[in-house]
Amino acid sequence: MGEGRLSNQLRTLRFLAGEMTQAELGAKIGVTRQTIAAIEQGKYSPTLEAAFRIASVLGKRLDEVFQWEG
Amino acid sequence: MAWREKTAWITLVAMVLTYGAYFTLVSGVPLSTLTMLELFGAVTVFQVIAVVIVTAVLAALSSDEALAKPDERDRAVARRGASIAYFVLMAGVITVGVVMPFRDAGWRLTNAALFALVLAETVRYLTVVVSYRRGWHG
Repeated sequence: MGEGRLSNQLRTLRFLAGEMTQAELGAKIGVTRQTIAAIEQGKYSPTLEAAFRIASVLGKRLDEVFQWEG
Repeated sequence: MAWREKTAWITLVAMVLTYGAYFTLVSGVPLSTLTMLELFGAVTVFQVIAVVIVTAVLAALSSDEALAKPDERDRAVARRGASIAYFVLMAGVITVGVVMPFRDAGWRLTNAALFALVLAETVRYLTVVVSYRRGWHG
């Protein structure tokens, strides 16, 4: 498997979505505030389902929220 | 800190302190079977009570966090801890059940089995807290 990592624009997109808090986003997709924080910090890669839920809540395409840096 | 990370820390610290004290005592001074049994019972009861009390106090302070179901990250971290601890437990079972009976018996075997269990559980909780701290991309 090649080297690389998943990055994201969650923090910016939350801000643009009416300054949505981590807790609010977490509640909408069914994860804890700490898990949203871990995703933002690159400490946890969400499942595909959670990634799609996040993009849907933020009204963005998946690749606008998450990017693969290889 | 995630609620399940807090509870993992509590259990890990309680286990290391209580069972660490137990295994230090039984390995240093020759004790009778009854004394060992009483000591192990006391250590286990103390550990369970300490974990329950500290967890209850934290749950009261953290309100709804303690009631939330584990999310996908909690479940992924728990699976990682269990899968790594499984190999530790298997090594312990092979050592205690296959190797040690050739030269040991009685309470040495029992304590070795208990040590294998405690070590596997310690590795499980250690993996959980490290996964929460340093991240997990499984």
